Amino acid sequence: MSLAQLSPKVGFPAFFRFREVAGKVVVTNFEGNYLILEKDEFARYVEGRVTPDEPLHARLDAANFLRDTYRITEAAEAVRRRKHFLSYGPILHLMVVTLRCNETCVYCHASRANMDQVDTDMSKETAEKVVDMILDCTNPFVTIEFQGGEPLVNFEVVKHTIEYALRKNETVGKRLEFTMVSNLSLMDEDKLDYLMKHRVQLCTSIDGPEKLHNSQRKLATMDAYQKSAFWMKRINEKYVEAGLDPTLYHVEALLTTTKATLPLYKEIVDTYVSLGCKTIFLRPIDPFGFAERVRLRVEYPRSAYLEFYRNALDYILELNRQGVEILERFAAIFLTKILQGEDPNFLDVRNPAGAGIGQLGYGYDGAVFTCDEGRMLHAMGDDTLRLGHVATHTYRDIVTHETVRAMTLASNLDGQPDCVNCAYQPYCGTIPAHNHKAQGSIFGRMRDNNVCMVHKGIQDYLFEKLADADAQTLKIFERWTTLRPREHFVHDGGDA
Amino acid sequence: MSDIPQGLVSFDVGKAAVTMNVDADVYPLQALYGAAFIFIDRCYVFIDKPAQGQFRVTLGARGTVEDEEALRRLVGEFANELLTCAWRHQITQDNRMLIEAVTMQAIGGAAGSPSLDDLANFDFSDDAFEDPLGIAQSWEEKHGKKAGAGEDAT
Ligand code: SF4
Ligand code: SF4
Repeated sequence: MSLAQLSPKVGFPAFFRFREVAGKVVVTNFEGNYLILEKDEFARYVEGRVTPDEPLHARLDAANFLRDTYRITEAAEAVRRRKHFLSYGPILHLMVVTLRCNETCVYCHASRANMDQVDTDMSKETAEKVVDMILDCTNPFVTIEFQGGEPLVNFEVVKHTIEYALRKNETVGKRLEFTMVSNLSLMDEDKLDYLMKHRVQLCTSIDGPEKLHNSQRKLATMDAYQKSAFWMKRINEKYVEAGLDPTLYHVEALLTTTKATLPLYKEIVDTYVSLGCKTIFLRPIDPFGFAERVRLRVEYPRSAYLEFYRNALDYILELNRQGVEILERFAAIFLTKILQGEDPNFLDVRNPAGAGIGQLGYGYDGAVFTCDEGRMLHAMGDDTLRLGHVATHTYRDIVTHETVRAMTLASNLDGQPDCVNCAYQPYCGTIPAHNHKAQGSIFGRMRDNNVCMVHKGIQDYLFEKLADADAQTLKIFERWTTLRPREHFVHDGGDA
Repeated sequence: MSDIPQGLVSFDVGKAAVTMNVDADVYPLQALYGAAFIFIDRCYVFIDKPAQGQFRVTLGARGTVEDEEALRRLVGEFANELLTCAWRHQITQDNRMLIEAVTMQAIGGAAGSPSLDDLANFDFSDDAFEDPLGIAQSWEEKHGKKAGAGEDAT
């Protein structure tokens, strides 16, 4: 008799991973289905003692956790669905049109230059070459994100890029989207009219209430918050004037979580709600390039971050129960993977990560990087993640670069100690650029890795809530995983 | 850091260096290279093999070190990285098919098929590999009649 003819005993477990959460056991399988079991249920499952006549057997079978009824085709289909992003190249193209910035933020120095450093502006010629490379990409949907510095400082090149890309895309025929991350302080009605007309999605930064924001993000006039808030309101009005649904079309903001943010979780969420945001992304600060003095001011242990996250999420859920619509982005990303079996393609929580295969970063001088962190490392004198230049390399040269291959391999969680045994592996991701900076290799060491600690802590929180199974919370989670595409911002090839 | 088994490590605070013996049966050489490499921005790293079945790693700090405790922390970090690399080495062998399939799909998906321009620019001039036995030669090149006077080479 060959091994293949051996039929496993009824109730014998198929491959699974597990983690104890809040007195129960979360089990996940290869394709990412999950169950939350009581401890005695788990013990009987592991020992193969679950009999076909009990409800637990039906639950295990339905989620494909049993060896004798394991449905391989179904599992393969689920994995394929989760990894849909592997079929195409980078969707996100980050274009640094200038390093110049009129603001001075405490946590930002590698990314900005003073306003007189015009040599850090991207030229129109370079912008065209960047667009040429982007439109050569294999992904039928691409997002061009204007970044800086402050992109409004080099608005001529932003405009030129948009018009050139739209013209060129008439023949290329991609679905094309433009976004801009701006502090908004240099916005005026003419610029806004242009951006509205060309359907550029706008996003800004809000660090929290006025006092906190203005102490971390400094304008010479000390009114960074007021300026951002003014323009957020104005842009939202414009969306309404254009007949767009304000629940879907409004300015979102990015939070930089510093040490000063942590105790102010309520005030921060309230600020976002009062500014009309429907989303808040509680991201911890990146470890990139702080001087020691700044590090002491902005950094914090990840355990403190996780406490902040849990408090903030409890508060956000409470607001939602009262009818306030505000979603936390980290939670939504993980929940989409956990509850829907889909991957929302967020490039920093992906397996393998998006560096080079999901996103590319373009410096003002035309240098190409695996990601935005690669550009920041370059600014700090580390060229590890620089892939080439738009003038000398083709798109294919870039995405087949050995660094891209190495990062794809390094961020594959099936080759990563700890992750291979972690119940959260089907939903998780590591960030090779972060690993390189923080731990000296693009692989990292998950046991003492900050990103791992954050991802694990957030998923622990979410599974605790799923285990609680409070009907209102589950309904809120369900809503957070329902994607509503913002089609207005998408330009189809030929509609310039 | 708690105590390290006797004889595995020796510290020299004066020279800001620490020497570790690593059992070659426990840790593969690839893991040792991987772990050693991440220290090269902070230390000068020497690896040798003083005896059969044993590697010796010397980390010489680039700056000064204050005390033995600083060297012990270095040893601790090295040991953790070495274990991580050794385990990764094992896992990547176990899951090789899966990792390769995903990587190929990711790079293939990103690169797409080559365009005519890519093919036109492809550098065919390099010798693909050394071929001392003439395996890659055509049969005619290897065995065909040599073109002589009055004959055309076919
Ligand atoms: S606005 Fe942006 S680029 Fe300017 S200093 Fe602040 S974080 Fe840096
Ligand atoms: S990164 Fe951490 S939380 Fe994520 S799968 Fe790996 S070990 Fe688990």
